[in-house]
Amino acid sequence: MKESQIMLIQYLTGVLILVLGALHFLAISALAPTKDKVLYHYGTTGVHNLTNGTLYYYNVKKIYTSLAWGSVFELLLTFLVFHIFNGFRIILSEQFPGGRSEKIITYAMLIAALVVFVWGTRTIVLMLYGGGV
Amino acid sequence: MTIENKKGWISWFNPFKYGTDRWMYSLHRLTGIALGLYLIAHVWETSNILNGPITWNKIMVDLDYPFGQHFGPLILSLILIAAAYHALNGIRLTIVENGLMLPRPYRPEYPYKAKSTRGLNDVLKIVLGILMIITAAIGIIYIYTGVIV
Repeated sequence: MKESQIMLIQYLTGVLILVLGALHFLAISALAPTKDKVLYHYGTTGVHNLTNGTLYYYNVKKIYTSLAWGSVFELLLTFLVFHIFNGFRIILSEQFPGGRSEKIITYAMLIAALVVFVWGTRTIVLMLYGGGV
Repeated sequence: MTIENKKGWISWFNPFKYGTDRWMYSLHRLTGIALGLYLIAHVWETSNILNGPITWNKIMVDLDYPFGQHFGPLILSLILIAAAYHALNGIRLTIVENGLMLPRPYRPEYPYKAKSTRGLNDVLKIVLGILMIITAAIGIIYIYTGVIV
């Protein structure tokens, strides 16, 4: 694939990440399936009390078990993994220019991207099919 | 052909003899790296939900106290500021680098200032700067108070 085509995908994934990232933010705030929309609930003691916030296990699980949110997270993960590891590849290729080093960097980033993608997808898919407790 | 990169990444921290675009380039790279590393940490953090409520709740509480109290909201706020900057500067770069909304190019004239990109680029910097402050403010208010503006 030409470098110019990869750059166009970089721009496109950037815009899509912006839209899906905003949806991710809404998933844990305004649209969170909880009465209380607070992320960090310190109360009067100053100790992080999870049970009332959106980060509480059963609240997060409700979001993960929804097919719609699962799809949003999977798409976001896909675009993020491409955008980030292609960005890392560009930065590293500029720091270590040369045909051989660029090839090594490209393959290293590809493997790292696949690992993160599979790792994140595993969480999303297993939660959709009743993972966790 | 191998092109030597003499200064390397050190030059990102020395944008003094250049204009605002160079500062924005350095910040774009640094925020990009920070956000990339955060994604990897976030994928690890969220994968713990598969281990059940005890592990998940423990990790959520522990991550709030690695370097003192209330670390969670602080790190999330910094990530939010970095994300707002990287996203909005990314939109500016997408517009400017693809030649969108720009006038036709013309013959260079002394003192060779790029007037064709100047006007729009400067307006975009101001508009996106204001949007960044608003976005970051809304996010930080939510993180610290739970109030959705």
